[in-house]
Amino acid sequence: MSIIEINELTKDYGDHKGNFNLTFSIEEGEVFGYLGPNGAGKTTTIRHLMGFLTPDKGSSQIFGMDSRTRSADIMKLLGYLPGEIAFFDGMNGIEFLNFMGEMRGLTDTNLRDKLVELFQLDTKGRIRKMSKGMKQKLGIVCAFMHDPKVLILDEPTSGLDPLMQKTFADLILQEKNKGKTILMSSHSFEEVERTCDRVGIIKQGELVAIENMHDLRLKRRKIYLVAFDNPASALQFADSSNFDIMEVNENIVKLSILGNVTEFIKALHNYTVMDLNTETSSLEDIFMHYYGDKPQSASNM
Amino acid sequence: MFSKPLLKATIKQNYLVFMIIVAVLMLYLPIIITMYDPATQDSLNEVLEMMPKGMISAMGFSDIGADLIDFIGSYFYGFLILLLPMIYTIIACNRCIASHVDKGSMAYLLATPNTRSKIARTQALFIIVSITIMLAIVTLVGIVLSDATFPGELDVKAFILLNLGSLLLYYAVTGLGFFASCLFNDTKNSLMIGAGLPVAFLVIQMISDVGEKTNFLKYFTLFTLFDPKEIVSGGVFVPQFIVLAVIALIMYGMGLYTFKKRDLSL
Repeated sequence: MSIIEINELTKDYGDHKGNFNLTFSIEEGEVFGYLGPNGAGKTTTIRHLMGFLTPDKGSSQIFGMDSRTRSADIMKLLGYLPGEIAFFDGMNGIEFLNFMGEMRGLTDTNLRDKLVELFQLDTKGRIRKMSKGMKQKLGIVCAFMHDPKVLILDEPTSGLDPLMQKTFADLILQEKNKGKTILMSSHSFEEVERTCDRVGIIKQGELVAIENMHDLRLKRRKIYLVAFDNPASALQFADSSNFDIMEVNENIVKLSILGNVTEFIKALHNYTVMDLNTETSSLEDIFMHYYGDKPQSASNM
Repeated sequence: MFSKPLLKATIKQNYLVFMIIVAVLMLYLPIIITMYDPATQDSLNEVLEMMPKGMISAMGFSDIGADLIDFIGSYFYGFLILLLPMIYTIIACNRCIASHVDKGSMAYLLATPNTRSKIARTQALFIIVSITIMLAIVTLVGIVLSDATFPGELDVKAFILLNLGSLLLYYAVTGLGFFASCLFNDTKNSLMIGAGLPVAFLVIQMISDVGEKTNFLKYFTLFTLFDPKEIVSGGVFVPQFIVLAVIALIMYGMGLYTFKKRDLSL
């Protein structure tokens, strides 16, 4: 059963900003990554789902309810983490969580306290004085604390240190196992890779691809840096192999490989390899694959 | 109908400004009441006559009659009551909706199972109740103080009418502020209308009082609908009161409707 359904959703802000004819749905128990560069329209879609905006055309539904007109009913079962962090003036962490709990009519604070502990959130400090990461953690606790069935998270790991990003990814996986439906937007492929089942890629307000995480990995080019024992063997490797060699610099060969690396490992077997590194392909590289002939406009957006 | 936790949070957010304005009002009110002295009333008028007439009129101090109610009516209700609570209402109106939208904290409010209407209604209720309490305090303290200082001198009915008039005026002014707060995405624009207009009204009112030549300006300010002199002297004031109440009703209604319908960039 589709939990989130978006149907020909259109909101034109002019200058190719907004959303155009978006159609996709998210099934129950699915973690959906919503990828795109800044300004591609990710947040616009989320605002529609939250009922903040009225679409020019089309509609969006959560649990079969129109997200604009029935948002208050939807919110009973939904947890939301806004992309921009802003809280109430002058409250401290625990006051804010108490306030949000009261607004939700939440009486059980067990889960909340567990989350506070999990993220090592200092709830006594004034929110205004908190660091960006601490505010982000407060937002995360607030989104998860009422054990919602659906989660909409706008760039959830921004501001978190790597350790907390890991904690967050574990939490997502845990929630997924509980059957939660999750939509998270991101501009980082790594973040999405860890947790998502399916990825939607948006460009200039239009959905350019929806891929299984598995398929996306296969299509993803990875760049490897191999350091040989001397420049001669580097050249020899570069000449003899039929890999996509990008560059040979002294004893280091740079090559890109699509899909699995079995052949590559086999080929390296005959050489002395001093060092092997991967250059993490950025989201841009993956976008490039989808954005095709206009990589420039994609990275400038 | 209303959200109790939000009301609590809004009270907490605003009580300090509220208390400060009440404190300043409570500072002026006793001073003005005790300044009244039937014996020296004539000499006070003489002093006032020596000053430039335009300036005195602008402050609403002209035509000071002989009664305590005339005295309070011109000194307190001619200017101070228009200025001091207005500072509070401007701040409260802007904070209630626009500042939440501007800062983004409205996103959290709307991520809870509360409709936009319920949130806006709660904030409107807060503004209406708080300004009512503020003017009720003024009324009560005014009556008690007058009775203690000059027993039997105060025309209580006229005094209550004065306060009712200023309350209705404030309903209209806060209605305007609330509407502006609901309409705009940022504090800047909300304040331009919600604060700019009332302040402009006050300034126009002061200028129009200066003399005959500027008198026509009174048609450009809402404050003309609240005329202490007419109220105290038992003149025509009921139609004005009704107009103020209608303006307030329309403004609050428009605010609630706009906030429910419009796009929020949160």
